[in-house]
Amino acid sequence: MKNTLGRRNFIKLTASASGALVVGLHFQSCAPKKEPVENFSFVPLIEIDTEGWVTLIAKNPEIGQGVKTALPMILAEELGADWDKVKVVQGDYNKAYEEQWAGGSYAVILNWDLMRTAGAKVRYALIGAASQKMNVPTSELITRKGSVVHKKTEKSIPFGDLVAAASQIALPEEVEFKPMDTYEIVGKPCPQVDLDNIVNGSVQYTIDLKLPDMVYATVLKNPVHKGKVQSFDDSQTRKISGVIDVIPLDNSNYGGRLIGPNSPNFVNGVAVLANSTWAAFKGTEKLEVVWDNSESKKENTQDIFSHYHNQLNTTSVERQDGNIDQARRRAVSQVEHVYELPFLAHVTMEPMNCIVDFSSEMCEVWAPTQNPEALEQGLIKLFGLQPEQIKIHLPRMGGGFGRRYYVDYAMDAAVLSKKMGRPVKLIWTREEDIKHDWYRPASVQRLSAWLDQDGKVIGWRQVLSNASRVTSLGREGNPAGTEIDEYDFPAGFVPNLQFEYGHVLSDVPLGQWRAVGPTATAFAAHSFLNELAIHNKKDHIDFFLEFLGPPRMVPVVGDFKYDTGRLRAVIEKVRENSNWNSPLPEGQGRGFAAHRQAGSFVAEVVTVEVNADNQLKIVRVDAVVDCGIVVNPSGAEAQVEGAILEGLCAALYGEITIEDGATVQSNFHDYRWMRLGEIPEIHVEFIKNDLPPRGLGEPPLPPAAAALANAIYAASGVRIRRLPIGNQLLDI
Amino acid sequence: MSSFKLIVNKEKKTISADPDTPLLWVLRDILGLTGTKYACGKGLCGSCTVIVNGKSVRSCTLSVADAAQSEVITIEGLSEKGDHPIQKAWMEADVPQCGYCQPGFIMSAFDLLSKNPNPTEEEVNNVLSGNICRCGTYSRIRKAMQIAVKVGNQ
Ligand code: FES
Ligand code: FES
Repeated sequence: MKNTLGRRNFIKLTASASGALVVGLHFQSCAPKKEPVENFSFVPLIEIDTEGWVTLIAKNPEIGQGVKTALPMILAEELGADWDKVKVVQGDYNKAYEEQWAGGSYAVILNWDLMRTAGAKVRYALIGAASQKMNVPTSELITRKGSVVHKKTEKSIPFGDLVAAASQIALPEEVEFKPMDTYEIVGKPCPQVDLDNIVNGSVQYTIDLKLPDMVYATVLKNPVHKGKVQSFDDSQTRKISGVIDVIPLDNSNYGGRLIGPNSPNFVNGVAVLANSTWAAFKGTEKLEVVWDNSESKKENTQDIFSHYHNQLNTTSVERQDGNIDQARRRAVSQVEHVYELPFLAHVTMEPMNCIVDFSSEMCEVWAPTQNPEALEQGLIKLFGLQPEQIKIHLPRMGGGFGRRYYVDYAMDAAVLSKKMGRPVKLIWTREEDIKHDWYRPASVQRLSAWLDQDGKVIGWRQVLSNASRVTSLGREGNPAGTEIDEYDFPAGFVPNLQFEYGHVLSDVPLGQWRAVGPTATAFAAHSFLNELAIHNKKDHIDFFLEFLGPPRMVPVVGDFKYDTGRLRAVIEKVRENSNWNSPLPEGQGRGFAAHRQAGSFVAEVVTVEVNADNQLKIVRVDAVVDCGIVVNPSGAEAQVEGAILEGLCAALYGEITIEDGATVQSNFHDYRWMRLGEIPEIHVEFIKNDLPPRGLGEPPLPPAAAALANAIYAASGVRIRRLPIGNQLLDI
Repeated sequence: MSSFKLIVNKEKKTISADPDTPLLWVLRDILGLTGTKYACGKGLCGSCTVIVNGKSVRSCTLSVADAAQSEVITIEGLSEKGDHPIQKAWMEADVPQCGYCQPGFIMSAFDLLSKNPNPTEEEVNNVLSGNICRCGTYSRIRKAMQIAVKVGNQ
């Protein structure tokens, strides 16, 4: 297999002053102008010192998804490093690294070739150096466990002894990748790189950092979305010992609510700056603020949902296959149901916070962000900075789940640091964190199916209505794009199919939430498919496999098609693992759902118990996943379990409600999260194959809620069509 | 501002703070012991769990005035080298995802196991259900607890 590194980057070797071999990306930071100007910068990716220690830069931010371990594993594998002599260091934000964001389950997908190419090129240089020293052809040499090894004689030279000579080797354009059957690191469970420092408490998140002369800050924000500050009285606040200053924040002085498309600015409020976090927190409690809510729609959840319901009848067609009217005329039966989903918050365990040091010309930032590029753009927009004036560090994050894709909280900190002329650590209280999230959109969906005399689905209509992330975030393009997608299942599987979208305008801030659009569309589609199976008096999995049809490549949109054989395989495996056909005790039931996202295939079976008092208990979850090569089975299993629990937890409890334009919930007492005692046994299996690795953080999430609802029906005969489940069973 | 004496991880400390300052912020902002985490500030999530006079407490709801003269153990003081059997069990099971909640869980587990070296599954569930892990590491926490109990019994 051959690969080269695309576009502006190429791998370069140099020797450092200490004699270490430094390998990095040689990066052309400006487009070539008329006069050829050399404008290259060099960013390191790998360093091998004379002792043979290999330092790898983890380029993507770590939110708990395991990239800080997985990407270096890929590189170390291709290099032939000894994992016990590898150190991993988090890289700062640097354009040269490209695609340095975390989201959409893309980190491994986007970096698989880059990491392998970098590793393979350095291996080439080390082998070249060893071939000169050993006087044998390069074809007889391999790298293994931190040495170059002569295959015939097993003679070896450790990397450390080769670094000087290797730095003189000219690198090829193209490199061969290692055969996968020789892998020693990739595919083996590997504890994550920060593990020891997490369990001894020394790992530092942004919230833990302290700079000299740093001021602590928090902001009391207008609870009403799109509200402003009219006036405030800070006399009581200023009496609190430790309070340094009180500063109102008005985003209309900084370009408004949005910095750019898809990038929100800070929320209006009043900031308290102090010499400790506690003084700042206490200071905000003593503020007397008169809010200006004249621009708010003063929405309530009930009204929002009734708008959504109404808008089901005024829609745009987003995908049209065949002709659903003809299917309706030919059908012998019709099934139709409506599903409702709530707004959801992210509640990352580490609340929003950021450190900005704007005390000089430079703006230095420590940010828990999934999107450093948006942060850089925001600073440029707000303060007219040049990119060279901005330095962004990316400490480990206490969760992300899509929330940290938006950099509003970093803008707060930057404005405050600029005003104070001192470094500022801004921490949102949990209350602000929940009240000023970018929520998973609520939605209403109506699904209709038309079936022929054999119970085959000949027509499918799915209408989704809500306020869109596109509109909320000022993105360009079709508001339907983030909500009901032409790629959504079952596109490609029903000859007459129509997706429609009803667009409603709303003030509620909306954003990406782990697994995004399919958290809504897949819940409805897979609940509905279960209803169709029941309508046909068929076993759900049998019905679903018939619905998929034989293994083949199914075209979905344009050239994009996928292999239903892989989807069938995970389903058949989960049927076996969950003992799908075995009888269950009284009151128990099983539910199934399957899903494809980010190139991966997942099938899940949830087993529940609904007792005589209608109390629900989730007993067990079986999941089978095909994500291609599993880079780190330990991290991968954790991602699958985490995504499933997140899906189940949201289905059970997750709900943000709005009253008079403000979010009602404020902390874990009213935004409930699953606890240890509630969680089911979870069994995860990965399909083994040699296909390129695909996304894993998101795909297992969407099917969980549908499988749960289907299981509840099997156990109790109660159909859940509105999430969260909350007290619905108890209220019967 | 008043002055308070505390013994933190076996060291005597005298700090000055407002009496209502939660122990959490004394540990984090004044003593630099940032392994103890803020996540809710209302005693709801357990991220800030420390041991005070042998009992686990939520340090976000205990004022420094009430904690004065007490002996406090934080995650940093659980062992010299991060090798307490519970920490080792956590590593063996590769528990953390983002890791933010983990010091709180480990301190709650420490409290439970020091009083009851052989807890039933239900006792583990009851005690550790006071903590929240947003990432969903619960299965591995259960596994780590089993390992820690086994090691403790050897
Ligand atoms: S931060 Fe103390 S219990 Fe949550
Ligand atoms: S590991 Fe992230 S909150 Fe528990």
